[in-house]
Amino acid sequence: MIKITIDEDACVGCELCVDECPTDVFEFNEEKQIPEVVREKECFGCLSCSEICPATAITHEDIIHSEDYYHDEENLKLASKLAVDVPLLHTPSDDKHREAALGDLGIRLLSVASIFRQTLGGSFPAVGTMAGRTLATQLPRYRVPESLQEALDIAVQQFAPTWDIKPEYDGSSKLEIKVGTCFIRELCVEEGIELGGDLCVLFYNYMAGYIGKLGNARLKLIESCPGSKECKYDVEVFVK
Amino acid sequence: MMKTRISTEWLSGCSGCHVAVVDLHEKLIKLIDDVEFVRIPVLMDEKGYPEADVGLVEGAIRSKHDRKSLLRMRETCKTLIAFGTCAVYGGPSGIGWLYGKDTILNKIYTDTVTASPDGKFPDGAPELEQSVTPLNEVVEIDFYIPGCPPHPYFIALAVKTLLGASVPAISTKTVCSACNRRMEKREGVKLQRGISTAPEEDICFLSQGVICLGSVTLDRCQAQCPIKGIACAGCAGPSIDIITEPHLDIRTMIAKRMSLLTGIDSLEIVDYMQKEARTFYSYALSSPVIYKKPTVEIREWAGR
Repeated sequence: MIKITIDEDACVGCELCVDECPTDVFEFNEEKQIPEVVREKECFGCLSCSEICPATAITHEDIIHSEDYYHDEENLKLASKLAVDVPLLHTPSDDKHREAALGDLGIRLLSVASIFRQTLGGSFPAVGTMAGRTLATQLPRYRVPESLQEALDIAVQQFAPTWDIKPEYDGSSKLEIKVGTCFIRELCVEEGIELGGDLCVLFYNYMAGYIGKLGNARLKLIESCPGSKECKYDVEVFVK
Repeated sequence: MMKTRISTEWLSGCSGCHVAVVDLHEKLIKLIDDVEFVRIPVLMDEKGYPEADVGLVEGAIRSKHDRKSLLRMRETCKTLIAFGTCAVYGGPSGIGWLYGKDTILNKIYTDTVTASPDGKFPDGAPELEQSVTPLNEVVEIDFYIPGCPPHPYFIALAVKTLLGASVPAISTKTVCSACNRRMEKREGVKLQRGISTAPEEDICFLSQGVICLGSVTLDRCQAQCPIKGIACAGCAGPSIDIITEPHLDIRTMIAKRMSLLTGIDSLEIVDYMQKEARTFYSYALSSPVIYKKPTVEIREWAGR
């Protein structure tokens, strides 16, 4: 059964947990100016109370945590080093769950790519470009890049560490992009999907669309060379 | 007994964290019995990077020189500590993230009335990087001590632990947990600037319509500002739940709580926070903890 503890010293008496709880677990003690847990067994562990609590005074035991891959690993690492007993709101990663999730994602991505191929034929890479351009307008970032080089720097930063992108650009009309670590490649290797297939073509165009929109240029994919450790592809640049 | 060797470095920061070490007062004298400072830029002239057991690094990476110094510190120190909010999250200089390098340089050296008449940039200064980077983006960090500057209580705790004392239980709660103001629900409250009003004693700032970041900030200060009547500016960086949960964000959480307390529309609060300079995120602006959050639309914000 879920056990709820309220740190009375930390509590600021705002009553927000009493209002937020969907199952009325808490009642406010007017005399002591703190909430009390009166119907503990009604709690189903949604954690709305601990989320709204300004003083992080409410802790739950025996709850089902969210899966680890929902969280950012770097952030978890940082949090765990800020203090020794950081409360875990997640389940440490489990290889079996991760594998199942990867498998699921692999099948979805593959079927999406083949649907595009079947409905759009040869023009299906344009879907990737469009998606990349859309991403460029939606992804949170601080400033509008002033040049293509700056756009490349931002792209490298945004895609790390899941993708290790190494662009080589000398200001001419040719841009060479190498991709080291690649989430899609790992997925393909794991699930036995052919490298350089539809999925990769979509990704190359996606990346080109994203960088192009950021750097205010039009990028055209010329040649790609997939590899088991590193992929390389050349792009022609038309600066607007 | 071998003394513990401490080396400190000062990157893009204000030296406030180094001064905070001096705030240990008499404790500092006792400390000298057990430790030896082999490098401490505010007190002694040591240009090299001597080998040390513990390295304290203040400030974020803003220039190429900062990056090199940090790498040297990592090579020479067994344990490396990100000391102060700039080192952990980028700190106030993180606002530089909002603009390109050239925009900043031009603003300082050519576009102002006090710029040199020939419009030349000074020689010899280390080259600025494109943006501001917290330390853990570049090297592995062993411990973090956030705070602007870190409270001497926590510095003393950290040093004691490194000298072999047992690991202390440090608060993982927010500033509100240490604050003695009472949050209460009110009606007819209007949003107002904290500095333009005299806050009521013992009542939470949010209940009075003043934005206070206490409920989204890690308690590394024992709520000194709010207790003395100044709304929290979030100098110790985001709280644990903001760091670990991707969907929780500083603005939205403040707006949600304040709206439940005062009835002010939460969108109005978010809008207000966006209009008020860009300092509401100032302490963790250039950290991926904040800028990679899906709810943060800083690009639109900066463009306004």
